[in-house]
Amino acid sequence: MTLPLIQPAAASADPHAAPPDQDPPPFSELHAQQMTFRDPAGQLLLAPDHALRRVRAIAAEEAHTFLDSALRIDLEHSGDLVASRIIEPDAGSFSSPGDFWLHHPRIEPISYPWEWTAAQWGAAAELTLRLARKAIDAGWTLKDATPLNVLFQGARPIFVDVLSFERRDPHSTVWLAYGQFVRTFLLPLVAAKHLGWSLAATLLARDGYEPGTLYRALPRWRRLDPGLLDVITLAALFEGKSGKPRKAKPAKTNPELAAHILHKRLARLGRQIRRAAGGTTSSDWSRYAQTASHYLPPDVEQKQQFVRDALEQCQPARVLDIGANTGTYSLMAASAGAQVVSLDNDAAAVEQLWRAAAASEKPVTALVANIARPTPAAGWRNREQLSLLDRLTGKFDMVLMLAVIHHLILREQLPLAHIGDLCASLTRRWLVLEWVPPSDPMYQEWLRGRDHLYGHLSEDDLTQAFTPHFSVSSRKTLGNGRVLLLLERRLAAADAVC
Amino acid sequence: MRFLLRLFPLILIFAGAMLLFERPAYAYADPGTGLLAIQAVGSALIAGGWYLRRKIYTLFHRDSAAPAEPQRLPVPKDSEG
Repeated sequence: MTLPLIQPAAASADPHAAPPDQDPPPFSELHAQQMTFRDPAGQLLLAPDHALRRVRAIAAEEAHTFLDSALRIDLEHSGDLVASRIIEPDAGSFSSPGDFWLHHPRIEPISYPWEWTAAQWGAAAELTLRLARKAIDAGWTLKDATPLNVLFQGARPIFVDVLSFERRDPHSTVWLAYGQFVRTFLLPLVAAKHLGWSLAATLLARDGYEPGTLYRALPRWRRLDPGLLDVITLAALFEGKSGKPRKAKPAKTNPELAAHILHKRLARLGRQIRRAAGGTTSSDWSRYAQTASHYLPPDVEQKQQFVRDALEQCQPARVLDIGANTGTYSLMAASAGAQVVSLDNDAAAVEQLWRAAAASEKPVTALVANIARPTPAAGWRNREQLSLLDRLTGKFDMVLMLAVIHHLILREQLPLAHIGDLCASLTRRWLVLEWVPPSDPMYQEWLRGRDHLYGHLSEDDLTQAFTPHFSVSSRKTLGNGRVLLLLERRLAAADAVC
Repeated sequence: MRFLLRLFPLILIFAGAMLLFERPAYAYADPGTGLLAIQAVGSALIAGGWYLRRKIYTLFHRDSAAPAEPQRLPVPKDSEG
């Protein structure tokens, strides 16, 4: 079975994307927002409902060969590689002779490795190694290997850089992207596991960590760990001894032996990744659902029923779950047919959520992020990677904000009106919010003597602060005093029917 | 054990040969320096196991004759494997 290279637009359209009848933005506007430009082979431009990839003339012949290959077809069919089709946009002066253009569906939301848990890093690394193995067998190789080539479609990683594939010298035993794989996949995981360096810190380490950096940071006994000896200790020693770069490419080798060596190398990397990313983590928040004493079983049942009814009533296609914890309500929204993005600041809770979504194949993208301190834009001129809010604003039919508002009030010291503004920017229509009154034990725990500032806040203060944007559609008081509200945006209510 | 000790210099020769025949690496991603050298050494070790797999097989199967086709022999576990 073959996959046609030229596909009708509808066949490849992302179901999460904006409506197709939108006018495409001017090409100059797309070009000004180009997302990638380091690879001399091409660059990526993002439109609201698709991505465009310019393939430069120097890489055109190789890219055409890859697109026509059985490998590309196999990888697209397996869901490991983003779909591609050749198009001819009116690119004008933004294209040069010999260039050609590819159309890809948008994978929403864009997520970055610094928002992933260790298990998600592991899954992205395993995907990269799987592609590298298949590429070797088909006479190709990956010329780069970084987590930035991977996005998550729901809970499943997908490789999005089709220009990473290049033909392999069958006699070569060197994988030129090995160093980048180790620096950007393996060593951040090792640093997180053995040194406690947050994976979020990779925001500032585009090309990962050098072996020497970890060698100096690790305790002496850890440097002799057989699983780290080659990629950290020996690599650091080789670097340290050589005054000038060691330009290495081995002599011509029997092709069968070369492939054997490359497979062995990938197999070892796979074991090292599994070891670094493995193990389950837990925290107070990841055990919250089991240990929360301020919810009695009837309260939990009433809360779940309220959210279930809201999902049933509103039928949202896209849901954002802020403070998702281990994902009870994210998974509920996904079961109701929504594509879900789940945010939580607790990596252990997000890891549980991601594992549950991956195991049940639910369309939930789980990210480690704090809505009060959202991931900033990053990279060259702060334009290579978008901020979290740039990626989320206006993308959702419903936002869930359950048992979060007291965190924002008491721990982040945010005024209610500002929280209302944020919610209105995120949801196109619906907001399900759990009000936690000052009498609640959790509220009291974080009040910490600031009664004069926060002790008087009431549900009325909340609804008044949210009034410019929202009206209350329905409400339910739980037995523990907390209140569930279904709010509807005022502008949206005038435009549409639920 | 004595046989394995005899193998060691051979493996070192392979490693040296790999490093000797260096040529420029044309990569878009930075291949690194130490990590590139690690690949060369690892390749040499695996290649040593590959070329000597028949002898290694007979070392652990003294009672049975080695199969006629060396390609079918199991490849020994090596430093990268």
